[in-house]
Parts: sequence; C-alpha cells; structure tokens
Amino acid sequence: MIWHKYQIDNIVQKVSQDLTLWHTERGLVKISRDSLAVPIKQNNHKKGYIFHGEGKLVLDAIIETTEGAIGKPIEEELKKPFLMLGDAEKINGNLEIASKEDLAKMGYKDKQEVISRAQKLFAQFLGKRGICKNRGVIFAFPNKNGKLDMLIAKGSKIVYKAAATVFIANNDNVILKTPQKVILSKHNKYFVIA
Amino acid sequence: MSEEFREEMEKLREEIARLKEQIRSLSEKEEMKRKHGIYIDIGNRVRDYVEDIMECVAEGIHGELEKSVLIGPRGVRIIKRREPLIEEKETEVTLSKTAEIMSALSHEHRLKILKELLSGGKYINELQEKLSEITTSTLSSHLKVLEEAGLVVQEKVRGRYLITMPGRAAYKMAIRTAKFLERGKME
Repeated sequence: MIWHKYQIDNIVQKVSQDLTLWHTERGLVKISRDSLAVPIKQNNHKKGYIFHGEGKLVLDAIIETTEGAIGKPIEEELKKPFLMLGDAEKINGNLEIASKEDLAKMGYKDKQEVISRAQKLFAQFLGKRGICKNRGVIFAFPNKNGKLDMLIAKGSKIVYKAAATVFIANNDNVILKTPQKVILSKHNKYFVIA
Repeated sequence: MSEEFREEMEKLREEIARLKEQIRSLSEKEEMKRKHGIYIDIGNRVRDYVEDIMECVAEGIHGELEKSVLIGPRGVRIIKRREPLIEEKETEVTLSKTAEIMSALSHEHRLKILKELLSGGKYINELQEKLSEITTSTLSSHLKVLEEAGLVVQEKVRGRYLITMPGRAAYKMAIRTAKFLERGKME
C-alpha cells in the first residue's frame, strides 16, 4: 500500500463525545468532545483522522523485572494537531460537521485553515515514509522540537518512538531506551546497558 | 677385600646422606617452630584438601557479592562507572536525596507496603486487603510518599503499584542495616 494514495478530505468535523482512540493495558489515547477532526481518505474510504483539540496520550513505559520495575509512565497532553491512521471505523459514527463557531473555538478563522494545517502535518508524516502495510493503528504527535513522536500499535504489540524515549513491547518482550540506559527484557530476564 | 671395603664405604656414604637429610629436615622444623610456634606436617594430600576448601569458600563469597551487587539471579546488569567510587563526592544534592529516601523509608507502614510489593505489582485494593491495619486514605498518602521518592511507580493505565529497582535496593538496605544494628546491640 503506497502512502500517496491517501489524501486529506475537504471537510472538517468535530468529535461529538469524549472518545478513546486506542486502549490496551499498557497505554491509551483519548480525544475530548468538540475537538476538530479532518478525515484521511483512501479510495473514498475514511482510513484515519487528523485531530486538533484536547487529547491525551498515556503509555506505561515500564518494565517489570525480578529486581524491581524500571521506567516510568509517559503522560502527554495533546494540544497540537495529531494524526491517527487505522481503526477509523469506530470513530466515524461519533463525528458531526463542525460549525464556524467550533472552528473559532480552536482559533481557526475558516475551514481551509484547518485543512491546510492538517495537510502540513500529513506531509511531514509522509516525508520519511514510502510504503506501509497499514495494519493496526499509527499515531503521529508533533513534539516540542517540531518533529513527530510515533506510536504504532497492533494488539499487544507497541512501538513508541519519541525524542527521548523508545519503547517496544510484544507481550513479555520489552525494550526501553531512555537517555541514560537501554533495558531489554524477555520473560522476566532482563539486561541493562547503562 | 678392597671390593668389600668399597661396598662398605658406599653404604656409609648413603647413610651419611640420609642422616644429613634428616638433620636438615629437623633444623627446618626447628626454624618453623621458632618462627610460628607449632609446626605440624599435614602432608600433601591434606594440604590440597584444605586448599580446595578455601577455594570453594572464596568462590562462594565472590558469587554472593556478584549476586547482590552486580548480577541479579535472573538477569545481568552491566554498570559502566564514569568515575571510581572513591572519588564520588557527597554533594549537598546526594545528601538531600539520601535524606529524602531515608525519610520515605522511615515509617513501618511504608516498609510493609514495600515488602508486599516485593512479590509483584498490586492494585490499591489488593494492598488494602493485605494491610488491613492501614486505612485507605493513609495507604494512599504513604504510596504518594514512596512514589515521590522513586521507590514505587504507579502504572497510569492499569493503576497497579510496582516497587522500583531503587525501591527494592533501598528496602533490602534498610532491613540489613536494622539487622546489623540489632546484632551489634546483642554483642
């Protein structure tokens, strides 16, 4: 599946109720009611969204070992626009067309301004990628350095890459990289490189 | 006659050499006695046996040290020290951090919480069941203190409390110190 087949839709919607976009026992992504959503389409099917509003990312980047836990939870308030690709079906029924007032609440003067901002984020997201099998769900969150923190999840498999942290989990197999150390853990056995 | 004489001379030389060896050995023993008090010749086999035992003891001590300091029973920690331990300075920051950790440990309830968490992560209601003498609000405030000191971490999604690696080390250190002091009092 080639990314250029995806395109930003020409409509702006708003979230009609608080939604949990992704949730496992290790993490979750939420978006609050009245946040704006611009659909990402592929062959006229909605495959994802670019959201802008009040969102939250929580990820327990913690490894349990027999010698104690290593790592800490990550909690990010998502106030900048962020991208979600995959698992769009469950969101489609919780959106309605955004009015001018809804756009104004988020500081936009018109629909086109929202769409162009969404396109800018999407272009940044596409910048580094050519081909993707598009399974599971992908999130891209702009960080304070102007780059994108990525979260890719499918079932219990998680890959999170941020400026300071890399967290990869597949059931009991976990890798955590912080600025100070790298921890590899498999079935309670672990290895720390500091 | 001369042949008999030669044989006799040879026997005498051998006897002299044996006696000389005995005298040398005796004088060595005398010298050892003078230096170390008592000298017991335990023979090579006994000496090897004792050496084997000493080697086993040394290996045991070395293994225990590695287990408790560097290598966990189910994992390996590689520690790359930037500075030797001797050069580590007790700065104001390390002292205040030490005080913070000691303060977090300085409550029987908090030590009990850490002990419960040694066996694995627990939800607050599980802790409440195990530590029924502590009220829920007190338990929460104790957990907050432990969390702030970095001895405990709470999962934000599931809500379980986990003892951290420093938390485990601090708990063990506190227990060992208490045992050491108690033993000192008895002696």
